[in-house]
Amino acid sequence: MRGSRLRKRAIFLFNNITAMIVVACFLFPYAYFVASAFKSRLDTFAYPPVWVFRPTLENFQTILEDMDILFYMKNSTIIAAISTLLTLVVAVPAAYSFARFRFRFKESIAYGFLFLQMVPGISIVFALFYIARTLKLFDTHMFLILSYLLWNVPYAIWMLRGFAEAIPVDLEESAMVDGCSRFRAFLLITLPLMSGGLAASAILIFIGTWNEFALAFFLTSTRARTMPTTIAFFMTHAGIKWGPMFAAAAIGTLPVVVFALVVRKYFISALTFGAVKG
Amino acid sequence: MRNLLLDKKTRAALLPYTLILPAFLVVFALAAYGCFWLVRMSLVEIAFGAPWDRSTWVGLDNYRWLLFSEHSTFWESAKITALYVAGTLLPELTLGMMLALLLNQKIVGRSLYTAILLIPLVVMPSMVGMVWRLYFSYDGLVNFFVESLFGTKLNWYGPQLALPAVIIVDIWEWTPFFVLILLAGLQALPQEPFEAARVDGASGWQVFRYVTLPMLSPVILTAAILRLMDILRIFDVIYAMFGGGPGRATTTLPLYIYRLTMVARNVGRGSAVSVMLILIILSLTLVLVRFLESVKFEK
Repeated sequence: MRGSRLRKRAIFLFNNITAMIVVACFLFPYAYFVASAFKSRLDTFAYPPVWVFRPTLENFQTILEDMDILFYMKNSTIIAAISTLLTLVVAVPAAYSFARFRFRFKESIAYGFLFLQMVPGISIVFALFYIARTLKLFDTHMFLILSYLLWNVPYAIWMLRGFAEAIPVDLEESAMVDGCSRFRAFLLITLPLMSGGLAASAILIFIGTWNEFALAFFLTSTRARTMPTTIAFFMTHAGIKWGPMFAAAAIGTLPVVVFALVVRKYFISALTFGAVKG
Repeated sequence: MRNLLLDKKTRAALLPYTLILPAFLVVFALAAYGCFWLVRMSLVEIAFGAPWDRSTWVGLDNYRWLLFSEHSTFWESAKITALYVAGTLLPELTLGMMLALLLNQKIVGRSLYTAILLIPLVVMPSMVGMVWRLYFSYDGLVNFFVESLFGTKLNWYGPQLALPAVIIVDIWEWTPFFVLILLAGLQALPQEPFEAARVDGASGWQVFRYVTLPMLSPVILTAAILRLMDILRIFDVIYAMFGGGPGRATTTLPLYIYRLTMVARNVGRGSAVSVMLILIILSLTLVLVRFLESVKFEK
């Protein structure tokens, strides 16, 4: 008996140490690049890498003063926020419809949305480029915002449908028996119960839009450029400006990491279009 | 007044469609307009940036060039894409499964670990590519570890190791995707079959092979299919790391689209690859979704 308890202890210890090491391996590349943002030019290129160094803010100073990084942050925020909002406005009624009604071609339409979501951005971006030029909308916030709807709306519909289906229909029905219209029943009962899922969907769509590269890169030049496309500015004739690049990466990723941790409860169902409940 | 046109019953029958209509119009209008232009572009010859009236109609010539010309590297790119898929999907799935099983044991601080594993999934891919580009440089972080372990440095920027480097980054980014999904799947499984297997004296491997794996297979398949669709369209990380190079070492199909359109400035040929890629992805989705439904139906 003592032997088996000892064995259990050993397994427990082994499992915990392995888990800690493996998870540390996944954290390390991110932690290292955030740390690198605070390194001086000399420390960035040191070989072997320096683990203990005097932190400096010079890289952040460079991107704030010389590169006006806040301008690109602002663009990213405007584009991601408005696109997310518009997405929800059209996706919530659609998701509700898929969740609550039985009608002809329901699943075909739903899969139609899913298929469109699968279209790679890079394969359609040059067509969008010509459209933007024809409509004189190249390098505008509006065109990017609209383009993102093509991917965001199907994604939102599939995710929100899952959240809506999880709410018992009885609640709504009893409200309707009491004289509520369907719209009021939805507004007063179902929507508040969905608010968690709604917030999670909004944040995840925001993150996806914030991070998007191909469309933002090829459909803008100066006025509507977003954060992910600023990588091009660090590639100069004199080589790549690594320090400022790390600083921009740190600033550009911190908000989404914080956001993701806030909604981590919903993350699994979001990643799989609700196919696997988290 | 508003009941003037339709009676109550008809309106009720139309309600589900009415609710979908805005989303349908937005998405399908955009997609149709985009596809119309894409197909049109793939049937002409035009230099990138040139006004549209300079285009000349060439019919299916771009597709013919793509599939049969000796100068086209479409098939090479298709092969690189296949290697990239195989090199990422299988290790990610295996590693993800192992780590999910590990985290499903008694682990102190599990919720902290799952939170940490979210990070690679949400970090801006273009920046990830740039950062790893430095990590893979000759005097970079990766070679520091390689040298400490094996006593020699590797040339990750060379044609042999560029694709493996890109694959390693994808494994770092996306293994957590499988870990989190499979862990959620494991925790949602009923406990009775495991207890029964233990009573029957099954070994750890047997429990995994004959109890866990069959019960988890719909979740595994869903995750693998979604991941596959995403790998086929990755552009940002590879672009930021190597731009498809050195030579053509990392020119997957998405990168080939970029190179034909923006580097060779041949919009027609680039668009033809785009059309092919969309067809590949949509037909794969169609087949795999059917397959997935049949697996779920059997359960």
